Amino acid sequence: MSSLLQRIRTHRQAFLGRLDTHPFAPPAVEKILAYGAPVGAIIEHHTRLDRCMDRLRQLIQEEEKQGRVPAAGTVVLADTLTDSSGRFDRAWHAPEGGIWLAMAWPDILLPEFTRLLPFAVGAACCRAVRQYGVDARLKWVNDVLVNRKKLAGILCTTLQSPSGDRYHLVGIGINGNNQVFPTELQSSATSLRSELSRETDLAELTGCLLAELRWAFGLLHYDEEQALQEGESCEQGRDGLLLDVWRELCDTVGQRVEYGFDIQRKPLYQAVAREIDPCGGLVMELEDGSRVTEYSGEIVYI
Amino acid sequence: MPSNQEIHFDEILGQYRSDPYNYVDMHTVHTGTVRFLVEEGAEVEGASGEWMHKPGTRLYEMNRERNTKIITSKTNGTISSVCSELDGQFVEAGEKLLTIRHPLKKKEIIEGILQEVLFLFEAPERARYYFSMDIQSRIDRKGARSVFIQPGDEIITMSLMKRDTPVYYTGEPGIIHSVYFTPGDSIDQGQPLIGVCAEEKLPVVQKVITRVKAEWE
Repeated sequence: MSSLLQRIRTHRQAFLGRLDTHPFAPPAVEKILAYGAPVGAIIEHHTRLDRCMDRLRQLIQEEEKQGRVPAAGTVVLADTLTDSSGRFDRAWHAPEGGIWLAMAWPDILLPEFTRLLPFAVGAACCRAVRQYGVDARLKWVNDVLVNRKKLAGILCTTLQSPSGDRYHLVGIGINGNNQVFPTELQSSATSLRSELSRETDLAELTGCLLAELRWAFGLLHYDEEQALQEGESCEQGRDGLLLDVWRELCDTVGQRVEYGFDIQRKPLYQAVAREIDPCGGLVMELEDGSRVTEYSGEIVYI
Repeated sequence: MPSNQEIHFDEILGQYRSDPYNYVDMHTVHTGTVRFLVEEGAEVEGASGEWMHKPGTRLYEMNRERNTKIITSKTNGTISSVCSELDGQFVEAGEKLLTIRHPLKKKEIIEGILQEVLFLFEAPERARYYFSMDIQSRIDRKGARSVFIQPGDEIITMSLMKRDTPVYYTGEPGIIHSVYFTPGDSIDQGQPLIGVCAEEKLPVVQKVITRVKAEWE
């Protein structure tokens, strides 16, 4: 019987052959996949961890202590997390049955594209779960929702190592076969099992997610290359390739929303989401008809 | 930072007295055909509203490939000069188009002088900022002016598109004298976040504030 990691890699390879690569021509697809190739180059699996992010930080420090550079795309996977958390130290429930992983990516993108990294992760997660037949949609920036319930959550932080190198750490949680949520999350969370009424092969889902992450990260780097060649930036109105893919998955525009930097603790105002600007900013229309664009913070649909 | 002897209060205050204005030059944000919407001498207003969502006075429009972008004033004041020869012309990015003369308030004058005296730590990107948990708890306990920081300290977290990045201090060691943002505020790239002062120079800074408060009407 093959090991879990072998099965994940086999499924990843299979999903790479089935990626939705429209509207790119084969040479571009090849380049995008080459840019994203490091994703999951090293995968470390644990049955139990406090947090995948902490283990990833530890790995980076260990590598640097030995004078080595951590491999780009290193992934830490765990079957269950005992001390997981979301943004602003919010609780994140990570029992057995879900996909809990963290990945390190070196900080080598231009700021304009670094800022789209959370969009890339969201798009990858959303595309992965949609392949299982759920109508998942993205809520700006990267919450993956099904019928307004959260199926997957993403945490993006940046780490500066003692040597001064910077890495983006991406934490991903997908509710797969776990169906029981704490009381406070029961009305706002869902899982693939709940939506599909059947179990999902988690090794297959992980392989699918890694294939989609390779595509999305590769596309982000390819997008940067194209922008440099064109000599245009999002500030000048250039619409990015990654953002186009993300927009196809997002249902935020047209929704009535409540906005806040920390929406749970301090909601600030209500508005109607009108568009996503070329830099990824959310353009909202207030009651008096004036518009405000936000590049940070979060929203809830109301 | 200049020493006590190097700060010529009378000279600095004299400059502000003779010309109590800030001159804000407006440059093109990208290439395009420019059309002015204001004339020299016009009074303009900056953005307003609780979320600064009401745009200021319309200054000029840029047209590029049939896309028109209206540029509005970020500050109040009077249009002191307009490069009217560029009206209707195609211009490159970064071209100066007009200048707004903004009348300074006492608080702005104090800040202006302090910003020449303090080490200013600027926002690396347009994003929302908040203090790191350690710094915030020290500020909560003792106040910002009791918090000593040095290069390498993780002082602030930058939040952009739901990505949180620790920001490490890179300036002179000192205490946080001025905080130019409210945690969670959206700050433009290059705007100062904090002003830092070496402990031994605090009396000099206090003197600046006292002098301006006392002498400025």
